[in-house]
Amino acid sequence: MGENAKLKVENLKAGYDGKVVLDGVSMSVAPGEIRIILGASGCGKSTLLKTIIGLEKPLGGSIEMLGAKVDWSEGRPSNELMKRLGVLFQAGALLSSLSVGENVALPLRIHNPGLPVRVVEELVRLKLEQVKLGHAYSKLPNELSGGMRKRAGLARAIVTDPELLFCDEPSAGLDPVTSRGLDDLLLELRDGLGITMVVVTHELDSIRALCDRMTFLAGGKVVYDGKLDEAEANGPQEVKDFLERKPGEVKQTGRTIAFNVEDV
Amino acid sequence: MKEQVVELPEEISPEWVSREHFRLMESSKGGVLKLDCGKLHKLDALSLAWLAYLQDTLEKSGGRLVLSRLSPELKKDLAKVTLPEAEKPDGKEKPGLAARVGESTLKLWVEMRDTLVLLSESLYWSTMAFFRPKTLLREDIIIQMVRLGSNALPIVLLLSTLIGFTLALQSGIQLQKFGATVFLASGMGISMVTEIGPVMTAVILAGRSGSSITAEISTMVVQEEVGALHAMAINPIHFLVLPRFWAMSLCMPLLTVLSAASGIFAGLVVGLLFFRLSPASYLHELKDAVTINYLGQALIKSLTFSWIIALVAINKGMNVRGGADAVGKATTSCVVTCIFTIILADAVFSFIFYY
Repeated sequence: MGENAKLKVENLKAGYDGKVVLDGVSMSVAPGEIRIILGASGCGKSTLLKTIIGLEKPLGGSIEMLGAKVDWSEGRPSNELMKRLGVLFQAGALLSSLSVGENVALPLRIHNPGLPVRVVEELVRLKLEQVKLGHAYSKLPNELSGGMRKRAGLARAIVTDPELLFCDEPSAGLDPVTSRGLDDLLLELRDGLGITMVVVTHELDSIRALCDRMTFLAGGKVVYDGKLDEAEANGPQEVKDFLERKPGEVKQTGRTIAFNVEDV
Repeated sequence: MKEQVVELPEEISPEWVSREHFRLMESSKGGVLKLDCGKLHKLDALSLAWLAYLQDTLEKSGGRLVLSRLSPELKKDLAKVTLPEAEKPDGKEKPGLAARVGESTLKLWVEMRDTLVLLSESLYWSTMAFFRPKTLLREDIIIQMVRLGSNALPIVLLLSTLIGFTLALQSGIQLQKFGATVFLASGMGISMVTEIGPVMTAVILAGRSGSSITAEISTMVVQEEVGALHAMAINPIHFLVLPRFWAMSLCMPLLTVLSAASGIFAGLVVGLLFFRLSPASYLHELKDAVTINYLGQALIKSLTFSWIIALVAINKGMNVRGGADAVGKATTSCVVTCIFTIILADAVFSFIFYY
């Protein structure tokens, strides 16, 4: 870590529509690391991801990716930087009017208009084979199942060989076997190509399979940053409870009704 | 205080509550309602909610609810019941008339500004495309031209012919009174070319192509597809806006010409059938009346209308927030805004061209 970190977030304040969701979030992701961002629903995981990948403007703090500071002075982060990232969206976010093959080819086609069509096609087939979707090249996204759409989304995210890959809940809503397959795929990508990854998830099985380090968010702050086994051994109680699937204390609010009961 | 005793059934079902509730309320107003729970053997969520409501309303009207002959188990259940607190209204006052007027004016202003920004970006990138032709997605423009333009051709032709027919018939009858049916051609020519052709085509395309642009783009926004484009460093202006902008700009003048031509042709048919005009005199009169000046007006109008439709539709689509209902609302609002702006622009043009 330190100077050559692939992603460095410092004191980030983020939110949308004038609502602050995250305040003072810092983290640093080393090259080749799989970083899990974890937390209960509604804790700001997705907001953090959206802010890092430039879909929401940060309200404060700084983000540094691949050695360059993300600069919002032109209204959006620079395209040159964005081209070096891959993003897998929660539902795949494939363009529904294009076939799977065209979807995967899209970033290549737009960024390198001079690339011969056949080369793009070969490359796309290669990537689709990698995510085990070789047969789906000419299908439309709505002909695919949820898991296949996510894998196609992953193929699109890695088609430009990004150095940094972001995944928003890659295994949410998938059956255990498919979700395991997706996790294995991510591990293969990391081991084979050395892609650094930031994965937002709350599936405990995925966390166990993938996690190098984790960042646990709660109440808009980082509660824990470190390795999984250390968190299980002596992390904060909140993190331990989450990992052991214990519900935290639930405050009972409500009114008790005093009925008039009469015995006969 | 009067007292009423009612025996509850074994189980309180939704049907039972809907049948008995108002009767019970009516007959025990201000008195004591005693519910005999001897038969009751289950207290489910519905029974609890109903009992709580009954107790509240009775007490408010000065009455009292008494449960009698409850079995020990049910009594224990009843003691444990807590009903979740209803959400408090967030205390915000409803904005007054002035605030609402101000808010919608501000919204209108923001929308107008966004549309103009979109226009300037479209023109900027279109100009840039002349220097870097590869950034223009030609295939996509052709696809959009087919979808937004040529697929609208049959309906545009049909409606223009019908309007031309009606217009020719009505004005012909008036002209006949003065024996001036020969001027049918000039009247038809000028009104179809400068007014009906551009406005009809624009209104049809606003309803047909504008709504489809808004629906498509807003669905893409709702499904995070536009976010994905940003994340792939693909500028939505290149990928979504320019193909539609160009397709509309190219198709609209062509459709307008065809629309005017079909209306004029309908006028010719009416002239032949009803007013004994010869084709030669109709065409001769037409050639004299419709000068290049009028054709220029038609071109300027149709191009402006095409930009209005394309940019309003894209802007409405891009700014959608929410789910399926927002897509519907955006589409409706797109068509209304387009037609309003087109007619407003047409009025402004008439003013500019004739004064």
